[in-house]
Amino acid sequence: MKKGTLLIILIVVILFLANLSLFIVDETKQAIVLQFGKPIRAIKEPGLNWKVPFIQNVVFFEDRLLVYDAAPTEIITKDKKTLIVDNYARWKIIDPLEFLQTVHDLIGAQARLDDIIYSELRVDLGLFDMSEIVSERREGIMKRVTEISNEKANTYGIEIIDVRIKRVDLPPENEKYIFDRMKAERERIAKQYRAEGQEESAKIIAETEREKTVILAEAYKTAQTLKGEGEAEAIKIYAESFNQDPEFYKFYRTLEAYRKTFIDKTTVLLSTDSDFLKYLSKP
Amino acid sequence: MPDYYDEEKEKIINLAEKIPKLIFSKKIFGIILVLVIALYLASGIFIVAPDEQGVVRRFGKFVRIESPGLNYHLPYPIETVVTPAVTRVKRVEIGFRTISPGPPVRYQKLPAEALMLTGDENIVSAEAIVQYKIKDPVGYLFNIILPEETVKNAAEAALRQVIGERKIDEALTVGKYEIQEGTKKLLQDLLDSYKSGIFVVAVQLQDVNPPNEVQEAFKDVASAKEDKSKYINQAQGYENDLIPKARGEAVQITKEAEGYKIERIKKAEGDVAKFNSILTEYKKGEYITQARLYLETMEEILPNMNKVIVDLKENQSLINLLPLGDTSILTAPSKEVAK
Repeated sequence: MKKGTLLIILIVVILFLANLSLFIVDETKQAIVLQFGKPIRAIKEPGLNWKVPFIQNVVFFEDRLLVYDAAPTEIITKDKKTLIVDNYARWKIIDPLEFLQTVHDLIGAQARLDDIIYSELRVDLGLFDMSEIVSERREGIMKRVTEISNEKANTYGIEIIDVRIKRVDLPPENEKYIFDRMKAERERIAKQYRAEGQEESAKIIAETEREKTVILAEAYKTAQTLKGEGEAEAIKIYAESFNQDPEFYKFYRTLEAYRKTFIDKTTVLLSTDSDFLKYLSKP
Repeated sequence: MPDYYDEEKEKIINLAEKIPKLIFSKKIFGIILVLVIALYLASGIFIVAPDEQGVVRRFGKFVRIESPGLNYHLPYPIETVVTPAVTRVKRVEIGFRTISPGPPVRYQKLPAEALMLTGDENIVSAEAIVQYKIKDPVGYLFNIILPEETVKNAAEAALRQVIGERKIDEALTVGKYEIQEGTKKLLQDLLDSYKSGIFVVAVQLQDVNPPNEVQEAFKDVASAKEDKSKYINQAQGYENDLIPKARGEAVQITKEAEGYKIERIKKAEGDVAKFNSILTEYKKGEYITQARLYLETMEEILPNMNKVIVDLKENQSLINLLPLGDTSILTAPSKEVAK
């Protein structure tokens, strides 16, 4: 019974000492052991570690990627346009010792990152026109800003993995100008479409009119040709027949013409010399 | 009061006497010890659900991944486990938020997040959903903080960058698929560069619209397009109406002419046939027939006419004999007039 009691006391004491001297560094953390506030060593690998109880203590630092999200700021581009740039950065504590000595903690780091990234971004964005920043230069600018900021941040035990422009927007008053321009542009396009439609329509109508005229002209041509052929044929037929006795034809046809021309109330002057009346004067 | 006090005191003393007996009774002590140790060891049993993976750390250091099912880790504080849901697809929304998943689904638009600049300095409103899941639980747990915010930030940056590379018309129409794929790739690259262990399942572009302020103008362009084809259709309608009519008219004209031609020929043939017959008979008695024809004609035409008969032998000048002013002669009554 005495033995048991001793064992328990021993276990408790061991656990108590272990609790004071052993500490776990998690996969997500890194640590610095301080002796009376003076850094002794940095622990970057996760696992079980020890310290001297009472005279040493441990501070932990985040070992994961950290977020730096700045408030949107106004930046003047090379072509003197104002842009509101909202950027963020992903960063990491790579040297906890340096980090502790220079910026001390996350709040200090945040302030330092503000200085570094903001000024670098301002300088770099000022080198380019707005359109370049929005489109083709964006990636390059971000790379450059990341590189240079990273170099500067290294002295604080910080590595900047990525500086990224999240949003590039125009100030509200410029937005209005853009909207007006977009409207004007759309109006122009709409006008163009309608005009094109009218043009196309006019073309089709003109072409249709032309085709109609051509069709009718062709028809006229064919018709006239046919009529001419008919006339010619008729003339030929008449001529062939009447040529058998032109005198008789003339006589016969004249009589026919008389019948048609001398109709009612025509006054005719008849000479007693005429064939018809010659028997009237000399019986 | 004192009595009461003593009684209480006595009870406590009695109890105190009993306690050591209980604890230090060897048998009970043994049982309790075994029980405690057993419970302690059993605390390492854990279940990994089918959509999870168990990530085990020993003294904070990653050691292994356990598959779904019943598993065991050494008890705390030696080993600890977390079980992130790796097959579950999570989503973040850009440009809008789902207020209630419905039905009916209700959304809230976030113009500040949705409006973005295009490469040609126009503004579009784009809304997208990003779906992601964990592909590497180790990276996901140990390399990044705030995974959802990380995905959202990176997705916004990627979408804006991709839209910024395009012109507005492209972004609004044909470029949709490209924007989706481009954003997905860029986002994945970013998340990989953070060693986040996140896999982008899909970037779905919900809507790319012109901003509200210019919506009308864009709609008008659409209706202008409609107008254009309307004008063309109308013209084609006119064409379709007119040309067949003209063709019909043309056929009519030519047919008429054909008819005329045949008519002329047939008439000629008929006239000639008549003349030929007459001529044949005429040849048989030329003088007689001529006279007969002449007289018959005269007989036929003269009765209806006003006649003035002049004897040229006595009045050589015709003019003198004209009955100028004397209407009685001109209107000499004929049978027809009298009627």
